[in-house]
Amino acid sequence: MRSVPVATACVLYHRFFEHVSMRAYEPYLVAMSCLYLAGKVEEQHIRARDIINVSHRYFNSGCTPLECDKEFWDLRDSVVQCELLILRQLNFHVSFEHPHKYVLHYLLSVKSLVNRHAWSRTPVAETSWALLRDCYHGDMCIRHTPQHIAIATLYLALNSYGVELPVGEKEWWQVLCEDATKADIDAVISDLLQLYDMDAKCI
Amino acid sequence: MDRDLLKQCLACHGDSLFNKLRCEQTENPDFQTLVPELCKVTSESTGLEHGGPLVEQFIARKADILFCPTWKTTTPQEEEHEEEDEEAAEPYALMPPLELFMEVSYDERRSMLYRDLERGDMVVGRINNIREYGFFLTLLCMAGGLRRDIEDLELSALCHIREIPSTGNHDDPLSYYQVGDFIRAGVKDIDRYQEKITVSLQPASLSPSLGHIKLGVVTKEELPVHYRRSVRAASDCSETYECILMSCHGYHNPSVVDYLLEKVRISDTHPPSMMRGLQSKLFQPEDFASAIRKKQSASWALKCVRAGVDHFKHGRHVEAMNEYNKAMDIDTNNVEALVARGALYANKGGIVKAITDFEQALESCPDHRNAKKYLCQTLVERGKQLEEQEKLVTAEGLYRRALSLDDSNPEAQEALHKITDTIQKSIRLREEALAKEQAKPTSSKTSADKLRKILKEEKRMKKKRKRSASSSSSLSSTSSRNSSASSSTSSSRRRSKKKKKKQRRRSERGSKRHRRVSSSRRSEEGKSEKDGRKGQDEDEVEWYPAPPNTSATFLNQRGGPGKRKVSCSSADSEHSRKMSCPGSASKHLENRSKRNSVDGGRYEHRGREDIVEVVDVKRENQGSVEEDCGRADAGLGRRSESAGNHKEPTGATSAPGSKKHLPANLLNIFTQIAQFEKGKGVGPRK
Repeated sequence: MRSVPVATACVLYHRFFEHVSMRAYEPYLVAMSCLYLAGKVEEQHIRARDIINVSHRYFNSGCTPLECDKEFWDLRDSVVQCELLILRQLNFHVSFEHPHKYVLHYLLSVKSLVNRHAWSRTPVAETSWALLRDCYHGDMCIRHTPQHIAIATLYLALNSYGVELPVGEKEWWQVLCEDATKADIDAVISDLLQLYDMDAKCI
Repeated sequence: MDRDLLKQCLACHGDSLFNKLRCEQTENPDFQTLVPELCKVTSESTGLEHGGPLVEQFIARKADILFCPTWKTTTPQEEEHEEEDEEAAEPYALMPPLELFMEVSYDERRSMLYRDLERGDMVVGRINNIREYGFFLTLLCMAGGLRRDIEDLELSALCHIREIPSTGNHDDPLSYYQVGDFIRAGVKDIDRYQEKITVSLQPASLSPSLGHIKLGVVTKEELPVHYRRSVRAASDCSETYECILMSCHGYHNPSVVDYLLEKVRISDTHPPSMMRGLQSKLFQPEDFASAIRKKQSASWALKCVRAGVDHFKHGRHVEAMNEYNKAMDIDTNNVEALVARGALYANKGGIVKAITDFEQALESCPDHRNAKKYLCQTLVERGKQLEEQEKLVTAEGLYRRALSLDDSNPEAQEALHKITDTIQKSIRLREEALAKEQAKPTSSKTSADKLRKILKEEKRMKKKRKRSASSSSSLSSTSSRNSSASSSTSSSRRRSKKKKKKQRRRSERGSKRHRRVSSSRRSEEGKSEKDGRKGQDEDEVEWYPAPPNTSATFLNQRGGPGKRKVSCSSADSEHSRKMSCPGSASKHLENRSKRNSVDGGRYEHRGREDIVEVVDVKRENQGSVEEDCGRADAGLGRRSESAGNHKEPTGATSAPGSKKHLPANLLNIFTQIAQFEKGKGVGPRK
């Protein structure tokens, strides 16, 4: 699954639980339906059977795949039903603007500011893309605007490698997005770093 | 760890990061070897605080990922230059240079350009002065990969006369150019100390990736898109980066993300992540959806095959076939399903189909024991069939193939021996015959008669043999019921013609198919009675069935002995052709066998039972469409029957009055049947 459908699925999931309580619905079922729905929205259709199979595998690792019997079909029905529920809950607003294309455009713009050899040596693109994908492990994707997330990931990536950009009257991020402030960027970054902390604690 | 990158990072972040790094990466031997070197760099660094302590913590923790050489997936590769000239087709937003909005100072921009400009880059400028040794350009913008805002930097570049490609006989290449022309040129040389740039119009001056672009004079419309946009942005302060981005076509391209990912060479199928729990090496290949699906499909298909075998054991062959086909749908090339289906075909007489199934199964699983065994048996069976049709060489080939699968198959060995003997014998016979023919050439008329006789004899023999073969093969309950029913009609008809009317009534009560048979028989009788020669003629006709799909020839057959001869030979050839491919031709056979059941006796009928059997299975498989057809057909038959009944009071045999009406009805029915048959032939065939 590509990054954008994954992002859509995450946003769907977090928006859904914005509206309803986590206790009312089984979160894993909602997650499966979100994946299914996101595949449809972003035109990268994933079959429900694959989603169910992989989820089943995840919860019971190592066991044989589900037989195509009543249990399977029941599960599939509930996924589809839940998909309808999500659609109604979100009032059928299921297409979102994602930071992905901002990041990529910004990357190209920033790239021409830097010496090409320095740029090709530094994996800024990979890092910012990884940071962006990692953003979706939490609910920050619905708490910040896409532009801010894009700028923050790029900022962190550049900062990590100590890439220096020319400074003019305005900072580069101010140009890319008018209403971005340093505080906004710092907020996104601190959210993201908290996610990494969480990840470290889980292991 | 990438030493240079780490140095660059430390030079930026300074001491505090270094301390954190030493703290976090204590277990990383890579880092430990670099420590002394890095120590030096850090002490030289300015120690400027860029990010907060949190960012430094992050860098320190993820240092092994961030500075790992494999983290960088992109290879330093010269990017392709895309056509920028068409604004409508831009795949992504071509943005003006960022420094235009950042308002970077003049000096800094100038020094940056001299630092980054390289030989092979492409620039666009306006001619401001022409001298005898060349012309001077005022640089306007960059074309190609590097995008910089240079219009107001007052850079001038020289294009020497040597660098202008001459156009053959013309003496002065400079006369082509005028002050004010826009020129696209490649950078030939830069003197960074004296800040001098020379450009060239020779195509070789460009870097290889830009080689396809034509240098020289360009029109205003051909200036790069980003330059035109930056001019607009410079003249209008309200145009921000965001506004321009939103107004670009490329920004709204739905696949812009995919395109740009490819451009910056990030793989989205194996995306990078800095979450330690999500490093891709932690995922097992068998946990992915495709692997699971494959496994699941296989088990599901096996389940279907098991159900099919169960059906088969209980004699429900159609259900079994459906299950096998379902299994094949779920999991194509499922070996078990193929073998089981092949066995079913073989049981049902579809030997050729069975063979293809077994072959396919062996292809995907060459060591399948059952498939080998069955294929061997079926090949021998098929070989015998062919032998009966005098196709000895093909049969021999089949026996050989069977033996190659299983050396110790006694049946195949025996058959092979026999057939080689027969082949040799027949060759000898043919030679003798040839010699005889040469000795006494006879008139064509008598030889034709002889031929006819020989053919007749041969056919009789064949039928006898077939009968013995079919008696050995097992019969399904449905088909045996069917064939016995139809054979009973024909045999009873033979017994006495006076009972005809009773018979007719009985057949009316029978099944659809049955009715169809009886009706066609009846109409045929009417015909034959009309012709006035019953017994003898019919006996003869019995051995010369008409080509099945044309009713016209069937009618013509009655016309005279001359025509009959023609139809006889064609039918004969068709017969052999059909026997060679019973699977595909069974449709025609159905028709034929039906007609034969009318004309022929029990004797012949038994011989055809196996064929009828195949046909029945096929018909049942083909589902409702044909069922409808059959019903329509039956309806027609009924109609003609009612017409016949209407005439009945006029006499026991068909009255002269009905002569005029019957043929019309008959023709109608026959054309209907012919169409139906044709439709079936075109229809679903597996």
